Amino acid sequence: MPAMLDQVRLDDPVTGRTAPEHCAAAASRVTVRGVGGSDALLAARLAAGDDHALAEVFDRLAPAVYGAALRVLGNGAAAQDVVQDVFVELWSHPGRYDPAAGTLRTFLMVQARHRAVDVVRSELRRIARQERHHQLTPGQRPPSPCDEVTAAEAASAVRAAVRELPDSQRRVVELAYFGGLTCREVALAAGIPEGTAKSRLRLALARLETVLDRQLLESS
Amino acid sequence: MTPELSEPVALPVGLRERVLEASRQAREAGRSAPEVPEISPAEAFSRAADALYGLLCALGDDDWRIPVLRGLDVQGVVGHLIGVEDDVHRCLAGDPEVATASHVESTQPAASRQAGRPVAWTCADWRRAADRTLDLVRAAGDPCAEVAVHSMRLPLGALLVARAFELWTHDNDIRRAAGLPASVPDPPTLALMTRLAARLLPHAAARTGLHEPLNVRLVLTGPGGGTWDIAVGEGPPDPVSIRIIADATGFCRLVANRVTPADLDLHVTGDPARAAGVLAAASALALD
Repeated sequence: MPAMLDQVRLDDPVTGRTAPEHCAAAASRVTVRGVGGSDALLAARLAAGDDHALAEVFDRLAPAVYGAALRVLGNGAAAQDVVQDVFVELWSHPGRYDPAAGTLRTFLMVQARHRAVDVVRSELRRIARQERHHQLTPGQRPPSPCDEVTAAEAASAVRAAVRELPDSQRRVVELAYFGGLTCREVALAAGIPEGTAKSRLRLALARLETVLDRQLLESS
Repeated sequence: MTPELSEPVALPVGLRERVLEASRQAREAGRSAPEVPEISPAEAFSRAADALYGLLCALGDDDWRIPVLRGLDVQGVVGHLIGVEDDVHRCLAGDPEVATASHVESTQPAASRQAGRPVAWTCADWRRAADRTLDLVRAAGDPCAEVAVHSMRLPLGALLVARAFELWTHDNDIRRAAGLPASVPDPPTLALMTRLAARLLPHAAARTGLHEPLNVRLVLTGPGGGTWDIAVGEGPPDPVSIRIIADATGFCRLVANRVTPADLDLHVTGDPARAAGVLAAASALALD
C-alpha cells in the first residue's frame, strides 16, 4: 500500500449509506467455487501475488517435482535444490507458464528435469575441468605408469629427430634447449653472429616440427 | 531405488518452509508480476482526462444527445464532470462547504446549464476545468495533504486517483450508451485504482453495516491487480476469513457500481453470505 493512502478515511457515518439494492441481491447469488481448481486460475493468482496460491501449488505438485529431480540426480540434497529453484522461478516469473500450452504439473516436471539434467552436466563439466587441471599441473598428482611411458616415448622421439638435423642446426638446438643458453650465448658459444644463430634455430625448429608431426600421425 | 518419473515422493522435512521463504525473498507477496511502472496520482488523472477527451472529440453532435445516466445525456454527464471539477477547485482553495456537498446534487446545476449549448463549448469547458485541477494540484504540492470534498476526507493523491476512477467510469458510461466497446485503464492507472479500492473497503464495509470481524483476502488478477489482506469490522483477534478472487478491471466496475457480482467471474471461498456483504460494500464505494 502506498503511504499516501494510509490516512484515507471517509466522513460519511456508518448509518449514512447502504449497498445498492440490486447489488446486494446479486451478491447473494455469488457462486462459491473451490479455488484450487484450474491451472489458469492458479497462474492468475500467482501473477497477482497471492502467496497462498504458491503454497497450494507446492502442496499439490512438489512431491512429484521432487520425485522427478531425485530420479535424475539420485541425490536428495541436490533434488531439494532443484525443487527450490523450480518453485522460486514459478513465483518470480509466473508469466512463463502458459496454461494454454499444458498443465502446470507438466510444466513443473519439465522444469525439474531440465534443471536436474543441468546439474548433472554442470557436475560432469566440473570433473572434466578438474581432470584437465591435474594433467596441466604435474606434481600435484603422481604420474601414472601410462603417463611415464608416454613422456619417455615423446622424449626419445625428440632426441631422434634432433640427431637427424644438420650439424650446424643440431649444435644450436643442443645449446639452446638442452644447454639452456640464450640466443646471444648460443652465438658466442658457437662463434657465429647472433642473427645467424636465430635463423639456424628457426630452421631447426621448423624441421623438427615437420618430423615430429609425421611421427605423431603415423603412430595414431 | 529411484522413483518413476511421475511418482510423487515424500518431501523432506522443512523443504516446504524453505521453498516458500526463498520464494517470498525473491518476490514480495501481494505485488503483481510483472510489476507495472509506478505513476503519480496526478499522472493517472491526466491520463484518464486525456482518454475521455479523446472519446468526446470522436463523438458526432448527435451522439451528445444519447441518454447516458440519471436522465443526463452525454452533454449533461460532461456538465456533471465540470461541476465536480469546480467543487474540487473550491476544495483546494479551502472552501469548507464542498466537504459535505452531495456528489450528485451539488453538480446538478452545472449539468443542467449545458442544455442547449454548443457541445464544443461544453467539451472545452470541461477540458479547461480538468487542466485547472492539475494546475491547482501542482501548486498545492503535497500529495499527502488531507482534503475534503463530497463527503470524502482523504489525501490529495487519493482524491486524484478517485477522480481518475470517476472519469474512467463515465467514459465507459458514454461508451456503453453510444454502443462503443468498453475501455480498460492502462495498468499503472489501474494499479492505483485497485489499491485505492482495497484500501477503502473497510470504510465501505463499515458504512454498509458490516461490523463483525472478517479477514478478507482480495486477489485481483490481471495487469494492475494485486493481493491484499484486509481486516473488516472490529472485534476479536481471530476473525473468520474469506477469499475473493476477481479480475482487476471487473472489480473496478463493481466498485463503480456498474456491474453486479453476478456479472463477474468471481471465485469465493469462505462464508458466501459474508462474501456477498463485502462485495455489496465494494459497490457502495461508488459516488455515481
